[in-house]
Amino acid sequence: MRYFFKTIHLIDYKNIVPKTVIGLFIILILLIPVFTRNVVTLSTLIMTGIWAVAAMGFTLVLRTGQFSLGQSAFMALGGYASAILTAQMGLPFWPSFLVSGLVSGLIALLVGMVVLRVGGIYFSIITLALGEIVRIIALQWEPLTRGSRGIIASAPPPIILGGHELVNFNASLAPYFYFMICLVAVTGLVFWRIGESRLGRTFAGTALNPVLAEHQGIYLMKYRVIAFTVAGVFTGYAGALYTHFLQVITPMVFGLWQSIQIMIMSIVGGIGSLVGGPIVGSILLYNLGEYLSRLDTPGLQSFLFGSVVVIVVMFLPQGAGLVNLWERFWNKVVWREEEYEPDEPED
Amino acid sequence: MPYLELKNVSKHFGRLAAVEEVNLQVGKGEILGIVGPNGSGKTTLINLISGYYRPTKGTIYFNGKKISGLRPDKIAELGIIRTFQSNVLYEGTTVVESMLISSYQQYSTNNWQSFLETKAWKDDNEKAVGRVIELVKLLDLLNDTFLPAEGLSHGYQRMLGIAMAMIANPQVLLLDEPTTGMNHEEAMFVVDKIKLLSEQGVTVILIEHNMKVLLNVATRVVCLSFGNKIADGIPEEVMNEKEVIEAYLGTEIL
Ligand SMILES: Nc1ncnc2c1ncn2[C@@H]1O[C@H](COP(=O)(O)OP(=O)(O)OP(=O)(O)O)[C@@H](O)[C@H]1O
Ligand SMILES: [Mg+2]
Repeated sequence: MRYFFKTIHLIDYKNIVPKTVIGLFIILILLIPVFTRNVVTLSTLIMTGIWAVAAMGFTLVLRTGQFSLGQSAFMALGGYASAILTAQMGLPFWPSFLVSGLVSGLIALLVGMVVLRVGGIYFSIITLALGEIVRIIALQWEPLTRGSRGIIASAPPPIILGGHELVNFNASLAPYFYFMICLVAVTGLVFWRIGESRLGRTFAGTALNPVLAEHQGIYLMKYRVIAFTVAGVFTGYAGALYTHFLQVITPMVFGLWQSIQIMIMSIVGGIGSLVGGPIVGSILLYNLGEYLSRLDTPGLQSFLFGSVVVIVVMFLPQGAGLVNLWERFWNKVVWREEEYEPDEPED
Repeated sequence: MPYLELKNVSKHFGRLAAVEEVNLQVGKGEILGIVGPNGSGKTTLINLISGYYRPTKGTIYFNGKKISGLRPDKIAELGIIRTFQSNVLYEGTTVVESMLISSYQQYSTNNWQSFLETKAWKDDNEKAVGRVIELVKLLDLLNDTFLPAEGLSHGYQRMLGIAMAMIANPQVLLLDEPTTGMNHEEAMFVVDKIKLLSEQGVTVILIEHNMKVLLNVATRVVCLSFGNKIADGIPEEVMNEKEVIEAYLGTEIL
């Protein structure tokens, strides 16, 4: 009996509890289309996943200390690339989709090489402008983008295996749902590895102290550009999926408000984590936004949305977001660990 | 051919000449002390060598190669590593994390290998962690390994700064007042480590106000005054030169 109690203390509840919860949660999410084919439920989940990918991109860029105010521009670039290649040029869907993220990433690379030498506020301003520039080009370049009429993008073609139709994107939303899951999973995997590897640590170094990092042999611009480009690629895919899901893209779909939304999702979720934070943030805020938009008191929506953001940012300072709640709860309530307090400098 | 050479190097900020026409040759393995009253251009000299500033005039050579005009990270890659006069840290990281970030530039494996977590990367990583532990022990940071860098006391933050520079495998180490705010014992501890590095063939240039430290460790001393080099030689002789004493006295009267 005593042995039993001893072993019980060896179990690391602090880590096991959230891991089990996350595992069950993932299984549950994967099974959702089996239980329900409800259009509202599924499309909400699909959109949440798309925004989560975009928010991951923002968090990655922020990891290098750069604050992008134009992440939605890359959704627009990916969306337009895929729509133009399929609808305007008649190319098949899957190659076009794959290219869309690369187009968006290429633009990020080029923009990054020009502005990330300086970074900081200049980068924020240029990315802000980039959003508007992309929108203006989409509006003006009529032969390619059909201007304000937008482009009708068709659903992905059915996947046929051995003469048998395996997946039909027009039959239900379930295929889109799993498409979204794949995108979130691939993005999550890549970002998680980046965070764990030397790249992620170097990113953090450039953000935490650029001068020190530079004098330790880190070429700041190189790492900022890598982060911005990788974010550009995956945000482009998110935009392409968005476009083929709604089956239309216009210059009005992705603007400053969407960029701000991406930023808020990332910050509220917690910028300390490249994958979990953005997912938690987008689940909360996309659904909150959807719920609020159904209330018909004008002004109340933005007020409540803003309040949630302010409350989270106020009560979870220093880059901690909702993903860090568990750890704080565990340390303070269960474990009763003292918060660490820095020594006073001696002189 | 001198190891590190400054030829007619000047740095002007507007009309202020922070460093003026300095010629300096440093041999491999030397421990060169730089002294001079406040504002005499000592830190600016280190900023010039490490690439933080470009010289307004003149050229800096390292191993026969021109390094003035290169970016700081390029110069660091060549093996010239500096510390800072104030405590410059990766705030928000622990001592080990800070040191690991610094050590990454020394890996022979690249970012892809790290991303894919190959065997070579894991071996490299193990070696780096070994080096970190070694240095943490050497610089008496063992008790603070998992503490946040900004939570260390002033003296240990200075020690961490030196440790982060050391893990970058310097050929030339530029130390900007490494012992400020330390008591005698701590300062002597740092002196020991500098001597150890020098024995391993590392060239050290250090700015130092503490005469005891300087006379103990430096093999040669250069004195700056208003950006000009006014003395260069064996520590005891330089410190007794009339011009040097006057430069210091001048500031005390002011
Ligand atoms: N970025 C800058 N812009 C303008 N003036 C500067 C700059 N950096 C240094 N100076 C000036 O250059 C002169 C030399 O400064 P420096 O920091 O090199 O002195 P120092 O010898 O290191 O002094 P201390 O002993 O106080 O550290 C000072 O007059 C300083 O005000
Ligand atoms: Mg100084």
